[in-house]
Order: sequence, then C-alpha cells, then structure tokens
Amino acid sequence: MLSRRSFVGSAVAATMVPAVSWAEVGSPTHLSAARNVAGQFELLGLQRTGDIAFKVPLPARGHAAVAHPNRAEAVAFARRPGTFALVIDCATGALLRRMDTPPGRHFYGHGAFSLDGLILLTTENDTETGEGCLGLWDVASGYVRLGEFPSNGIGPHEIVRLPGSDRFAVANGGIHTHPSSGREKLNLDTMRPNLTIVDLEGRVWDEAVLPLELHQNSLRHIAAFSDGRVACAFQWQGDPFDTPSITGLYKPGRGVSLVEMNGDLLHRLDGYAGSVAVLGPNRFGMTFPRGGICQTFDLDSAGSAAFQRDDICGIAPAAQGGLATDGLGRVHAISADRLEPLARHPVAFDNHLIAINPV
Amino acid sequence: MIRGVVLCLAMVASPALADFVQARDVHILPRYAAFADSSAALSKTLEADCSADAVMPAYHAAYDDWIRVSHIQFGPAEARGVALSMSFWPDPKDRTGRAVAMLVAETDPVVTDAAAFAQVSVAAQGFPALERLLTEPPEDAAYACDFMQAIATFIADVARDLESEWRNDFGETFVTAGADGNRTFQSDADVQRALFTSVSTALEFLHDQRLGRPLGTFDRPRPKRAEARRSDRSLRHIVLTLASLQDLVDKSFGDLQTPDLNAAFEDAIARAETLEDPTLAGVADPARRFKVEVLQRAVRDIRPALMNEVGAPLGISAGFNSLDGD
Repeated sequence: MLSRRSFVGSAVAATMVPAVSWAEVGSPTHLSAARNVAGQFELLGLQRTGDIAFKVPLPARGHAAVAHPNRAEAVAFARRPGTFALVIDCATGALLRRMDTPPGRHFYGHGAFSLDGLILLTTENDTETGEGCLGLWDVASGYVRLGEFPSNGIGPHEIVRLPGSDRFAVANGGIHTHPSSGREKLNLDTMRPNLTIVDLEGRVWDEAVLPLELHQNSLRHIAAFSDGRVACAFQWQGDPFDTPSITGLYKPGRGVSLVEMNGDLLHRLDGYAGSVAVLGPNRFGMTFPRGGICQTFDLDSAGSAAFQRDDICGIAPAAQGGLATDGLGRVHAISADRLEPLARHPVAFDNHLIAINPV
Repeated sequence: MIRGVVLCLAMVASPALADFVQARDVHILPRYAAFADSSAALSKTLEADCSADAVMPAYHAAYDDWIRVSHIQFGPAEARGVALSMSFWPDPKDRTGRAVAMLVAETDPVVTDAAAFAQVSVAAQGFPALERLLTEPPEDAAYACDFMQAIATFIADVARDLESEWRNDFGETFVTAGADGNRTFQSDADVQRALFTSVSTALEFLHDQRLGRPLGTFDRPRPKRAEARRSDRSLRHIVLTLASLQDLVDKSFGDLQTPDLNAAFEDAIARAETLEDPTLAGVADPARRFKVEVLQRAVRDIRPALMNEVGAPLGISAGFNSLDGD
C-alpha cells in the first residue's frame, strides 16, 4: 500500500518525467497479464515473435490492460469487482499511479484511451443503482478523475474506440451484480444487453439490441473494424446445451445480428466466448476457453476455421495476422488458415491479449 | 528463493510422476479394444435379429464399453469429434428425437449406405438414436431395422478406427512427447495435462450434467433430463465413469500419493452403487432426492483432492481462463 506522500510523489512523477516511448522498452507489440510459476502476477510485454520484451509485477490478478497510444505506459485493471487500476511505466516497472474508483463505483475490467491519448475511459458499476457508467480520467494530470456519464445499460464490460475517431463502442452485458454478492447474477430473467456507441461527451450515437428471445445472450467483449463495424462475443446465460450463436456483428445504424456457428461446435463451448479481435479488413477471431477453441471468421466468404487449444483466451491483431495466448503459457500465431505455435513461457496468460498501437 | 525452488521441482520431478506406457497399455488400449469387440458384436447381432429382446444385451455391452473409454477426450477421439457422434447428450432440444423422426418419416435410404450415413446429423448416428429406436420403435419395423444396423455399423467402424489409431501412430505419439516431429505433445507435461484434463473434465460433466441436469432445483426437479433414462442407464453411466476415472488415475499417476483422492473415489462409487435408482427418477421424490444430492456432493469432493494430490505435484492448475468466467 502506498503512503499518501509516495502516492502524491508518483502522481507528480507521472506528469514531470518525460514519457518513455514503446521503442525504448524492447518494442513490444502486445500486452498481457499473467501468473508466473511462483504464483505471482505480472504484466508482460510481448514482441511479435512471441518473445517477452518486459515484465513488471502486479499486486493481484489482472483482467485486461490498455496501452497508452504513444507513451510506454499501461493501465492494468483488477478483476471485477475490483476498485483499483494501476498505471505502470513499462520501461522501469514503476507504479506511476494507482487509480481508485470513487465511492459507490467499481471497475468492470476494461478501458480505452481517447484518440489523442489524453483521456482514459473505464467501464464501471454504480453499485447503488446498478446502472453502468463510464469513468473519465485526465491522463496529463496523472490520471485524475474528470467525471463520468452513463454507459446506457447495465454491466458495461469491454469498451473499445472506433478507429480514427473519438467514438467508443461499449458492451453493456446486461447482468446486474453487486459487490456484496461478488459475481452473483441478480437479473437473469430480465437482463437486456446492448451495444452502445458513445462519444467523449456521453452522447449516445447508436444502440443495438438482440431480439427479445435472445435477451440472455450477454454481450461482453467487442472489437472494432476500421469502418465502424463491431465484432461481438457473447456469453449465453441460459442452458449451455441450448445456446444460440455467441458470435455477432454490429453494423452502424443497422443493429447487431448473430453470425451462424456450427451446431456441433457450439455444443462444446459452454455458451461462453472469452475474447474477440479484428484480424483484417473483413476478418475476425474469437476464443472460447471453456471449449478450448479459437475460431476465425471470414466475412467475405462467410467461412470459418476452428482450432483446438486448451485454455486459449487472449487474441489480438498482429503483423502476421493475429496472436493468441493461453493459460499454458503458449503464444500462437494466427495466419490465413492456420494457428501455429510461436513461443512458450512458464506463465499462465490471463484473459486478454492487448495490441499496442491499434489503429 | 521460493520461486527458484518451485521451478526446480517442476523441472526435475515431473517426468517420473506419470507412467504413459502403463496408461496406454493397461488402461486406454484395452478399453478401445473392448469397445471395438462389443460394438462389432452389436453390429453382428443386429444383422441376425432386430428384435429388442435380441439386441438389448449387445446394446448394453457396447454402450458400457463406450462409456468406459469416453473420458479419453484427446487424440483420435477428439480429432474425429467422436464424443458427440457416439453419445449426443445433453440434448435439451431433443435433436435426437427429431433427427430419428425425420429419417423415419421419409424412409430415408441414407441408412443403407454406410458412407452417406457417416454424414448425417450426429444426433442420429450413435447410442442415443439407437436407444430411441429400441425403446420407442417406429411402425415401420423393416426401416427401423435398417436404421439400427446403420448405427451399429457406424459405431463399430468408429471403434475399430480409434483402436487402430491408438495401436499405431497415436499410441506412439502418446509415449514420445518432445521427440522431433511430435507436434501433439511437445513435452511430458503436455501428456500429463491431457490425462489430468480428461479426469477433471469428466468429473465436471458428471457433476454438472449427468447429476445436475436431472436434479434441477428442489422446486423443479427434471427427471426426464437424465441421460439414457429410456434404457435405464442413467446411474450406470455414473458408476462406470467413476470407476474408469479412478483406474486412469491409478494407472497414469500411480507413483503419486493420493490417499484423499482414493477415499473420495471410493465414497462416491459406494454411494452410486447403492443408490438403487437406475434412471435417477428419485430426484422428483423428496424422500429419495436426498440420496442423489449426496452423491452429487461426493462427486464434487473428488475434484479438490484431484487438484491437491495430482494437479499440484505436476504443476497443473486447470483452466486459468476457462474457470475465470469474465
């Protein structure tokens, strides 16, 4: 625990010290939280070869991280319902700042930077009302909270910036939880998830929902195409052997529709998608850790390919097409029609693999 | 310092803690061989006589042998997606009933062409479809006979192929982890993990599906969701699976000290064997439901012992991501 003095000191340091660039920390292309063989948690920087560029310790298990667009700085979020996030200097491993949610809020595990890197948005729960909100943090002054606005739904999970813009897609998962009951789901009968497009002022530009009969398909993870389409990864809250597709595609102004999945494959996934990444102009990939499956979808040909890898979950775009990581420490390269081993490390990679320098 | 010790243990200890040749030769291969034999016998029986009285004993024998090896979910069985085609379940939409009814309604000649039958819905290919035809026979007995023969031929072909692949290439792959060209198992740790995962996944399936589905909730028990209840096999699958998993652990990891795990298996097996409720219909009877709940708890208690006494010494922590759920 930081004392108030060192806390202030590090906050000041963040504003005073010239920022180090990503090139100066071994040119990592990706970030992931992980657990090492000693049971300690770390934030790792990975190169496109799958090698480790840097590692810095984390005090507890992380969920996702978000990389600053130009400074070698990452924000690592605690697992929900965590109330803190850590701003880490990826050059030195130094803790630059600990971000704490205001009273009555907790983080949901994801965040996104504005186009210029000056504002960080975080998905949060208003624990009193159960309504989701987005917290805004001022990067230049040391990640000081600027304010918040509603996320336009319950249980916002992943937030991503639409490429080239300051509009953001928010996956409002629809599931109401309260910290007093951990991760218990309080509203499965009435949940109604949505995908919302918002800007930095909190204006809602679009909202997309699935038909009512699919209201238990919780939207959790999303990835944006350069043209504003959003690939959607769902978690089905009904009978896992009676699950609809848990893959979807949002088109601006035209709502979200499910992408057809092979029924036999779906039978093995426990209704659970773990992560999603856009891998090309018309191509995306999804991971299903409970089925140990990574699947790529080609929207031009409407084709897909599935690969079996135990505990696979992290997935992100990369120069060679994509990278994926798993709980066994493996890094996989995703190419046009293959998933091949790239490297293996003595760690368990956590849920999400984050590409540094997205579009 | 602590970190260094853990690393050393993981590197030095793991190869000696599992016996892959024994797991293959004393557990896996004999089970695939038995399944190949009894499924061939089932096929032969059906060629001679399609009456339920004649077929039932051979059906039970082959289904038993499949359940005794169905926990081996890696290798040829995984590559062929056999788990679904042999035993499509859970089946909340009754895809089995619908697939069977559709072929019967159309008197679809696909059942007389083995190559074509291999391409029909998995829900129509395996034991659940055969069970349906045996226990709810369609009016067209001649077609039902052809259909059952097609299923038995398909099952016997799959069983023969699985045994053959294990006896040849895959059996070699399984015991040569880390060798050049072994892309399936890059190290002994990969094989250990495959075996461990087979046990932990099967235990989860027992708890959540085979017991959890019929149990439902106290206010809403779901006896009709029990697996293979039409042929009185629901409890039998639980007993066979528990015994199979205990044997796999014993043959694969016999050098490990597993007193708690052995005790947990013995307790669950004893409770299952004395349940006297073959279809688990008792879940809907408050007086008998209690015993099924106790069995489910006994199955649940096996997993922590497995984690502590097998997973921990091997450095395996199952499902870092798959169990996280976020």
